[in-house]
Amino acid sequence: MPPAPLPSADDPLDVRIAELLADERYLGHPLRDLLEAMIERMGQQLTRLERITTISDRYQSSAREQMCHLSRRYDQQIRKLEKAIRISDRYQAMLADLNKALQEASTHDQLTGLPNRRLMADRLLQEDHRTLREGTTYSLLAIDVDRFKGINDRFGHEVGDKVLVALARVFRNSLRDYDACARWGGEEFLALLAGADLATAQLVAQRLIEAVRGLQVDVPDAVVEPRVSIGVAEHRSGERYNDVYRRADAALLIAKQNGRDRFLVAEDPRGDAAPPPQALC
Amino acid sequence: MTQTSGHSGAGADLILAPTQSTPSVAADWRSGRLEMAGESYPENTYEIFDGIISWVQTFLELTDRPLRLELQLSYLNTSSIRAMIDIFDRLEHFVHSGRDISVLWLYNNRNPRSAELGEEFKEDYTFEFDIVAIPD
Repeated sequence: MPPAPLPSADDPLDVRIAELLADERYLGHPLRDLLEAMIERMGQQLTRLERITTISDRYQSSAREQMCHLSRRYDQQIRKLEKAIRISDRYQAMLADLNKALQEASTHDQLTGLPNRRLMADRLLQEDHRTLREGTTYSLLAIDVDRFKGINDRFGHEVGDKVLVALARVFRNSLRDYDACARWGGEEFLALLAGADLATAQLVAQRLIEAVRGLQVDVPDAVVEPRVSIGVAEHRSGERYNDVYRRADAALLIAKQNGRDRFLVAEDPRGDAAPPPQALC
Repeated sequence: MTQTSGHSGAGADLILAPTQSTPSVAADWRSGRLEMAGESYPENTYEIFDGIISWVQTFLELTDRPLRLELQLSYLNTSSIRAMIDIFDRLEHFVHSGRDISVLWLYNNRNPRSAELGEEFKEDYTFEFDIVAIPD
């Protein structure tokens, strides 16, 4: 029976055992056969151990590869999602801007940039509610450009537009931040003076008239010096903004009849003493 | 709302009429062109994009002809963006084996930010990706 293959020919112990087993002097010795059997069993077990290790290594490396593959796919998916989110954010910012522009367009007069009638009506409604809730007051100035048709007829609509834009700038600069001035109609503006009583409103009206008197609008070969007339009314308890506006507008009409370029205080709806100051200027 | 002309699958055109929340789609098998135009924010993105993605995949697998995408997409929701990236990824895969593929990203002159969106999509891809303004 040939000796079992030894695990290693380099190992001194293995070499010594192999020599002893090969030595004919020990043939038949009871320990020799036992040693030979033991070495053979050891060899088999080593072989089995190696096979197990090889298989186990293979499992491990395949698991590792799968992990790497999954993690790579995961990274790719994350990158894809991040890109989608980035682009989506851009689209949303674009929509938000568009929304803002639409909002602006629907609430502001395109020519002058002032609030339009719709936005002003909202503001006035809020102001009405405030007077009920907090007992505050407000005044309205109905402002109309004097002889505007004449300006248009003489210089053309482009110049007329230029005059309106210049006037809008004057109004904006002459009012407080919490007041509002809207383009109410063609050449008519409406100013809301929050919290202002009649005395304050008259001061503001006077200031507006004077500011407009200082205005010169350059047009080819001429200078247009527009003037405005103003009707002034303060909110009285029980009134809605439409009532206040009607009174301001009626006063405006009389201011026009009285010679324009002036303001007039509306009559008090209660017909109280408080005679309208008729503060012509 | 939607209709598919020809038979589904290989060799078929894919024609989808636009709706309020989906773009118009015209995929022409013979000329190798896929056109999409409009906005895309459907409730179920897969309903519309599954067909488009599988048309692209089938075309790329069954033919070796050039493929040209013409896109004029003014709004995409996040899921639609993801689906578009999915399509572009497939294009990129085939470009690596030498396939002739190009994308034309059209945007309205009045909305220059849409060009930036095209740029954002274009990033990472090696195929031809042109971003072109069209007048109003």
